[in-house]
Amino acid sequence: MKRKSDRMPSKSAAQGESNSRAGMRGSARLSYHIKVGWREPTAIIGALMVVLFAYLVIVPIVTLLHDAVEVQFGDARRAKAEVGAWTLYYLNRTLASPIAQVLFWEPLAHTLSVAAGVMLVSLSLGVPLAWLLSRSDMFGRRWFATALIVPYMLPSWTFALVWRTLFRNRTVGGQQGWLESLGFTPPDWLAYGQVPITIILALHYTPFVILLFGNALRSFDSQLEESARILGAKSGTVAVQIIFPLMLPALLSATILIFAKCIGEFGVNYILGLPVDYNVLATSLYRSISSRQSGVAAVLAGAIMLIGIISLLVDARLVRESRRFVTVGGKGAMSRKSPLGIYRLPATVFAALIFLISVGFPLLVLVLSTIMKVPADFSLDNFTLDYWIGRNLETVALRTGILLTPDLWMAAWNTLRIVGFASLCSGLLGLLVGYVVVRSRVRWISSFLRHVTFFPYLVPGIAFAVAYLSLFAVQRGPIPALYGTGLILVLALTADQMPYSSRAGISAMMQLGKDPEEAAQMTGAGWLRRMTSVVLPIQKGALVTGTLLPFISGIKGLSLFVVLAVPTTDVLTTYSLRLIDNNYTQAANAVVLIIAAMAYFGTLAVQNVTKTNLADGLGG
Amino acid sequence: MPTITLSHVSKSYDSQAPAISDLDLVVQDGEFMCLLGPSGCGKSTTLRVIAGLENLSAGEIMIGGRVLDSRDQGIFVPPEQRGAGLVFQSYALWPHLTVERNVSFGLRLRKVPADERDARAGFVMATLDIEQFRDRYPSQLSGGQQQRVALARMLVIEPDVLLLDEPLSNLDSRLRLKMRAELKRIHGEFGTTIVFVTHDQWEAMTLSTRIAVMNEGSLQQVGTPDEIYNSPANLFVAEFVGNPPINMVPVTIGQDTDLSLTLGEYVTRSFPKIDNVGSVGLRPETIRLTVREPPGNPHCLTSHARVAGILPTGGNWIVELDNGGAPLFVSTNISPEFNVGEMLYFQVDQSRMHLFDLDGIRISYENG
Ligand SMILES: Nc1ncnc2c1ncn2[C@@H]1O[C@H](COP(=O)(O)OP(=O)(O)O)[C@@H](O)[C@H]1O
Ligand SMILES: [Mg+2]
Repeated sequence: MKRKSDRMPSKSAAQGESNSRAGMRGSARLSYHIKVGWREPTAIIGALMVVLFAYLVIVPIVTLLHDAVEVQFGDARRAKAEVGAWTLYYLNRTLASPIAQVLFWEPLAHTLSVAAGVMLVSLSLGVPLAWLLSRSDMFGRRWFATALIVPYMLPSWTFALVWRTLFRNRTVGGQQGWLESLGFTPPDWLAYGQVPITIILALHYTPFVILLFGNALRSFDSQLEESARILGAKSGTVAVQIIFPLMLPALLSATILIFAKCIGEFGVNYILGLPVDYNVLATSLYRSISSRQSGVAAVLAGAIMLIGIISLLVDARLVRESRRFVTVGGKGAMSRKSPLGIYRLPATVFAALIFLISVGFPLLVLVLSTIMKVPADFSLDNFTLDYWIGRNLETVALRTGILLTPDLWMAAWNTLRIVGFASLCSGLLGLLVGYVVVRSRVRWISSFLRHVTFFPYLVPGIAFAVAYLSLFAVQRGPIPALYGTGLILVLALTADQMPYSSRAGISAMMQLGKDPEEAAQMTGAGWLRRMTSVVLPIQKGALVTGTLLPFISGIKGLSLFVVLAVPTTDVLTTYSLRLIDNNYTQAANAVVLIIAAMAYFGTLAVQNVTKTNLADGLGG
Repeated sequence: MPTITLSHVSKSYDSQAPAISDLDLVVQDGEFMCLLGPSGCGKSTTLRVIAGLENLSAGEIMIGGRVLDSRDQGIFVPPEQRGAGLVFQSYALWPHLTVERNVSFGLRLRKVPADERDARAGFVMATLDIEQFRDRYPSQLSGGQQQRVALARMLVIEPDVLLLDEPLSNLDSRLRLKMRAELKRIHGEFGTTIVFVTHDQWEAMTLSTRIAVMNEGSLQQVGTPDEIYNSPANLFVAEFVGNPPINMVPVTIGQDTDLSLTLGEYVTRSFPKIDNVGSVGLRPETIRLTVREPPGNPHCLTSHARVAGILPTGGNWIVELDNGGAPLFVSTNISPEFNVGEMLYFQVDQSRMHLFDLDGIRISYENG
């Protein structure tokens, strides 16, 4: 204290001097700031990435929202205003006009009721299965733990195609459904619309519950349960008062994530809803794009986005609330298996049944459908490989088997090229984001990057695609119109995958910590040297995973492509959809089988490479 | 010459309380300086600002007369240009490189010709006894071996200044002893200026030429191990250094008091008159125990108390005395010939009593 007062100069004498010195010190401070914060490329890379992601994530969404309140080309007369002027026309049309019912409110009601049904069914299937897999002595737990996850590795609309193959009736043209060939005509409510959509999405998302809930169960310390038992509580009481409250966060999380995914689900709704005009928000959005109503599309996409954001915020909030009570067992957590007694066999049968319904039977049907001429005729001469490798078939357009069709190989090549490149980009960018977030000395850059790369997670793919469409449909400044090119797909896909790859990158960099790089710095290594000799070689594995995982989810993705792809940039998913539209059922099913096989074996390969197991949370 | 000078050095992370504040420290050329303090007191932060891995919030750092970090002068020299080596607490070996590659990394970086590189790396590896592991990866080494590789990696580039952050804390006690000796030898052999961080007082005592004791981000005392132990500058240093810890006897009456009165039962003889005494410290090993009343001595504090407990600690005994107030711990290496409950006499030379004022600052006094 004394020292400070000693040094304080008398006020009047020091006034002038301190003024001039303040200027000098100001410039010294600035130069210090630059030397510390901006000395290394980390900061510059960080700044570049801020610009990149602002453009890839924020600008499209802002443009989209802007489109919703600005008169679009061709709408001047109807909106009674100049093109480009402010208008409430689209909001009004979508939300309050006579056709708002068809455009928005009905699809909204459908979306919500499908989502509610899916949540209900997948929870009531997934919760008991998760418990059986992780906490009981059911037969074959280890095998089921992997087998029951398979639906999640396949594109959800695989099962829509199966359903269509089985239940299709005369409402749509093309080949008959199996049931109809057997003499039973399924009613429309069973063949199309809400019932099948709900069932299929529920089966697709059940593994999600099994994984999330199973993990929670596994980390649950059974000593908590046992101490309640010792105190004399009955098993029902234990379940209600101890297990249930502790499992609530995991349940809520699974539920809301399923809800959020249902909001953006396109493929299943498209395949099974379209024939009976059963629209959900995603298909209504797709229709307004197809009919070039970009203003309405913007409003719809905004609404989907809003629902997505709200539900995930609710999730974050609820989970935080309920997590306050959770004491998840540490390393010593014991999870004892409950003996099932006489229910051991019935339980196993139940799991096997779910497996058959959700995996075995659908895949069998799909495979059979591609090698049978007439549906549901199991005589030997009805089987053929023509749909795969035939030539000079009697069809109108697709006259060779699918494997001999150039379009397939073109689509496959596009998939590889576009998805592969986008995955590589997002893998690398994810690692770079991780690096900058962990290492940058300029704090706002880290936090901006962390948030902006996560944002696409809140936006369902189809809404995101529409945002890209509205940004890149026309030339803006130096950036040409990209619609119709592969580049727009790469950009959209990269941005869409950033939430996963940036998370992976950040956690890989966090795990690595600063030490190895700082050690290199202490031996005198500059930035480039540290990157090439230390950081990248150590993170090789993370880069491989960060590239392969987005690749697998990318090849089965549909909603981004369906908005942004044109025939020349067809990927396998959009190609199969086009085949469905043209009623080439066998060919479409064959393409989906190819995609499913790629996704499945890809997942297995990643698990092998990374020595992790999706189903690790279960079994054992 | 690599003398490290820290003047008015402060560092705060984010908006929290400063990790170190207003630190003034000079580490002389060739010195082995230990930074000692409880964990979280800012030792690592001090090393990291010297190394340049963190920049200062205020103050100035110089090494060998060259300003390396000064906000006011707008100077910041990046770590790779400071000529300092830092051995991390976690070792931070590069997992993808072999031992030989780890060690020769800095030499390759400097494009040292292959034969010279091999010779230098070989010499350091031989000195540290890790040559037989040259082709192994860090994950195939034990903690002690990894620690030596981390050290070799920095030694091989012959830094002017070597900074070590608790390098021995992950080792078992035998290995730690061996490495302490080795560090001392290396210091002699390479003649480097070393700043060594530890929270272990014995490590600091045995290794260093001088010790800087830190607490809550500020420097408490700098001195030789002997000075730190025998004339602690304040209560914190007195209580932090020494095992079993020093006995602190609070003095409750204010200024201008005759200490013999204040200390009540502990003081039998009158003591020089000193103002402002807040507490008196008695090191356990400076207290002599006798069964019979010792002859009176004007330069000693003599009193008696009951034995409340005897704790053997293998070759030493800690005796707990109780006279109604706070217990008094005495450490002795003579096998006790008394039992719990007996009355004992004890005696301390006045010259070995530590007096602290009400603010906890040491009071120096001449024996009367
Ligand atoms: N990177 C950091 N960010 C924020 N606070 C930190 C950081 N590193 C250290 N601190 C804080 O600074 C204080 C001193 O830490 P440190 O120097 O590591 O102590 P020591 O090495 O003596 O244990 C602690 O309170 C610690 O929490
Ligand atoms: Mg430390």
